[in-house]
Amino acid sequence: MKLFSAKAVATTAVMMVGSSAMAAECIAPANPGGGWDFTCRQVGKLLYDLGEVDQPVQITNMAGAGGGLAFAHTVAERSDDAELIVAASSATTTRLAQQAYGDATADQVRWVGAIGADPGVIVVAADSPMQNLDDMVEAIKADPGSVAFAGGSAAGGFDHMKPLMVLQSGGFSDITSVKYIGVDGGADAITQTVGGFTQAMTGDMSEIVGFLESGEVRALAVLTEERVPGFEDIPTAMEQGYDVVAVNWRGFYVPKDISDEDFAMWADKIQAVADSDEWAEVRQANGLAPFTKVGPDFQNWVDQVIADTEELSREIGVIE
Amino acid sequence: MLKSDRIFGVVVVLGAFAYIASALQTPTSFMSDPVGPKTFPVLLGAVAGLCGLIMVLKPDEEPDWPDFGAVIALAISVVVLIGYAYALKPLGFLIPTAITAGILSYQITPRPLASALTGLGLSVGLFLLFKYVLGLGLVPFPKGWFG
Amino acid sequence: MEILSNLALGFSIALSPYTLMLAVLGCFIGTIVGALPGLGPSNGVAILIPITFTMGLDATAALVLLTAVYYGAMYGGRISSILLNIPGDEPALMTTLDGYPMAKNGRPGQALVISGFASFWGALFATVMLALVAPALSRVAYQFGPAEYFALYLLAFSTLGGIASNNQAKAAFASCVGLGISVIGLDNFSGLPRMTGGNLHLMDGVDFLVAIVGLFAVSEVFFFIEKHGKGGAVGVKLNKFRVPWGEIWSTRWTQLRCGVVGFIAGVLPGAGASLGSFLTYMMEKNIAGPEGKFGTGVPKGVAAPEAGNNSAAGGALVPMLTLGVPGSGTTAVLLAVLMTLNITPGPTLFTDRPEVVWGLIASLLIANFVLLAMNVPLVRIFVKVLSVPPALLLPGVTMVSFVGIYSLTGGYFDLLLMILFGIMGYVFRKMDIPTVPVILGILLGSNMEDALRRAMVLSDGEWTYLFSSPIAIGLWIFAVAGFIAPVYFRNKIRKPQAVTD
Repeated sequence: MKLFSAKAVATTAVMMVGSSAMAAECIAPANPGGGWDFTCRQVGKLLYDLGEVDQPVQITNMAGAGGGLAFAHTVAERSDDAELIVAASSATTTRLAQQAYGDATADQVRWVGAIGADPGVIVVAADSPMQNLDDMVEAIKADPGSVAFAGGSAAGGFDHMKPLMVLQSGGFSDITSVKYIGVDGGADAITQTVGGFTQAMTGDMSEIVGFLESGEVRALAVLTEERVPGFEDIPTAMEQGYDVVAVNWRGFYVPKDISDEDFAMWADKIQAVADSDEWAEVRQANGLAPFTKVGPDFQNWVDQVIADTEELSREIGVIE
Repeated sequence: MLKSDRIFGVVVVLGAFAYIASALQTPTSFMSDPVGPKTFPVLLGAVAGLCGLIMVLKPDEEPDWPDFGAVIALAISVVVLIGYAYALKPLGFLIPTAITAGILSYQITPRPLASALTGLGLSVGLFLLFKYVLGLGLVPFPKGWFG
Repeated sequence: MEILSNLALGFSIALSPYTLMLAVLGCFIGTIVGALPGLGPSNGVAILIPITFTMGLDATAALVLLTAVYYGAMYGGRISSILLNIPGDEPALMTTLDGYPMAKNGRPGQALVISGFASFWGALFATVMLALVAPALSRVAYQFGPAEYFALYLLAFSTLGGIASNNQAKAAFASCVGLGISVIGLDNFSGLPRMTGGNLHLMDGVDFLVAIVGLFAVSEVFFFIEKHGKGGAVGVKLNKFRVPWGEIWSTRWTQLRCGVVGFIAGVLPGAGASLGSFLTYMMEKNIAGPEGKFGTGVPKGVAAPEAGNNSAAGGALVPMLTLGVPGSGTTAVLLAVLMTLNITPGPTLFTDRPEVVWGLIASLLIANFVLLAMNVPLVRIFVKVLSVPPALLLPGVTMVSFVGIYSLTGGYFDLLLMILFGIMGYVFRKMDIPTVPVILGILLGSNMEDALRRAMVLSDGEWTYLFSSPIAIGLWIFAVAGFIAPVYFRNKIRKPQAVTD
């Protein structure tokens, strides 16, 4: 699940900071209906249900610039607001790494924690001749135009990067010749692939669960270190000899200037949600794999991810 | 004498050129697609320019433009609305809305008392509607008032 | 009869005094949200997400409430279209073309009732089709690739020439303006911003809600200021109102056709309800020909788009439920709600969770009947809007618009943009430049360009790819026919009254 469309019609229910002074607030930098909105709502609900906060968490939708507006808002207007968390995911770090938020950089906020991850997958229609990643890489090496990918992100986005990383790892260097079309969300990408308009779909595990069950698509690989619980029959890219890990994590950042105690407090609360049985249930129902990193640990991980993304983006020419 | 359509047509042609020029400035990365990001806007600019040219050559009847007084009234309204747009966030909902609605009402039917009442009524009434029926998180007053 | 037992299952879940109460509440909220310019169905559904959580509603109750709001808003959109010439939401755009002239002729009640019945029929047809053939229909989406979508959008634009305007150059110019605006934002293919002038607020493009409210609502206010409240439908002397059974019956074929076409438009994940109402209006206009007097306030002119958009709204649920593809922004929000209730739409939903699907279908049916029952008697109250003094009504409309748009991002930028669109709408209408094509351009422009560019990526720039399937060719034929038909008619008739009065 991700943003269905940046221009989604949806408008938001909540407009501004509420009048009640001490309520925690979660900004979803998108319209209702996307992954960020989901993160805020589910985690916000659990924070309250588990007694981590005294009042229901207020959810604010702040769509704009693919998350850039909320980022700018946090940096410029809320930089010491200890009651604020903002939903983020791989899309956020990818865009930051590609300077898609203007001058904003990742060190203008603090990365407080991740609570789950949507494993990256590469799938084909059930009747595709490709059986594994080797088939796919060989086909592209033979004729780069023969395999077109569909994904839910714009060109240069996270979904686009996944097959490119696999191809790079497989020794194919002319990655700009690989065909990719960005459509409105993962489900749309699957219909294009099942319909035969594209040969493969790149996306997240949660997007393909229903289609896997119905037998319309087949996953070539999941881009995690270990096989995903519940989907043990899908091999990882690493087992197939491609050293690629790409997960769409779900988590939060907080304003830069809050105290270390507040930062640690949020890290603990997020840890508590991640450890709860309720979250395990929600996570499984939505095809997310366990992925918990909080506090400084998460901060370091994000720094590394951004550095890696920047390097790859430069190689494929998204940034100079 | 010059017809409005001719003037407008010239504006459209100039605007179309500006649009095309700005479209040609669009940055491209080297993984671009066969069509590219410029084709569509340039095409649009060309068609729009052509339409502008037709307006210059074959103008319609002169529209009935408002008289000077009405233009002033419209200008005032636009200024007030722009002010409202900026005031809404820092000053809360109630006060800017009452003032703006009152002025607009006065521009439509110039009766001071009725307009003032309209402004007040709309501001309070709509606040109640949005806040309590539709659940929008409107802020009534400037931050800092009433704690 | 499997379907009957399924329906029985659905009603056993969805029908109880409690859920019926929720349905009435949902329909009421939906109608209000739909009628207020700037607030659309997605608003209504979005507003209800937190309410569902705080009220602790179970999945069934939440579904009933939400579908009631969804359909309620689809019904409600027409009210402000007809009474004020301001579309309450974007699918109601086409309803202004004949609905408002009807109101100006003193027949707002009739317009509301006819469109209410058309809405009912459209929604009913779509719901029944949803129940009967949804799983099978989901395959249709597999037949539509970039080339087919491009032809579909082209079809929508090719009929633009038939929009009431006295000057083709001006109609074409208006479409260019809309399309030109749709280009603004992050380019899907290079991932780089286009025509944004470096403004962060423009990265996501211009929201068409901003455009629609500016072009219609704000510019309407300017007109009233210029004329000091005279002219327009407000204050018009109302004819005595009786339910116009004869006129409703006279639109039966229109409603039937539009229900079918709207449903198909809705099933294709694209522009959803707006495309449905647009295609159906233009189709009926072409079928009726010059004698149909479309654009002057004829019953068919209000029945067509309303049957079309309500049917499309139901149709949009097909790809949403069976594929998880939201056909429109509204269904995207509905999809989000389902997911927060731990219901994941997809190809296995109909078999895995029959109680959800049939409960949903039953609640749609309930909502539809509640809405019809609510709408017809309420018409007498709705038309009272026109007796409100303009000095109160128009400022009210303005304030509602501002709040609606303000709720998009909570900043001043969209508001300024809306005022700009208001000035543009005022000038355009003065100069007899139609504003409907501007909205359509914004609404469909980026979809059309994206489809074309996707097609070209897949075919390595080979143009013949655009005609490579029977569906694509069929749509191209309709597009060409749709383009030529109005030109052919135009030679035979006087111009219809312009919408831009």
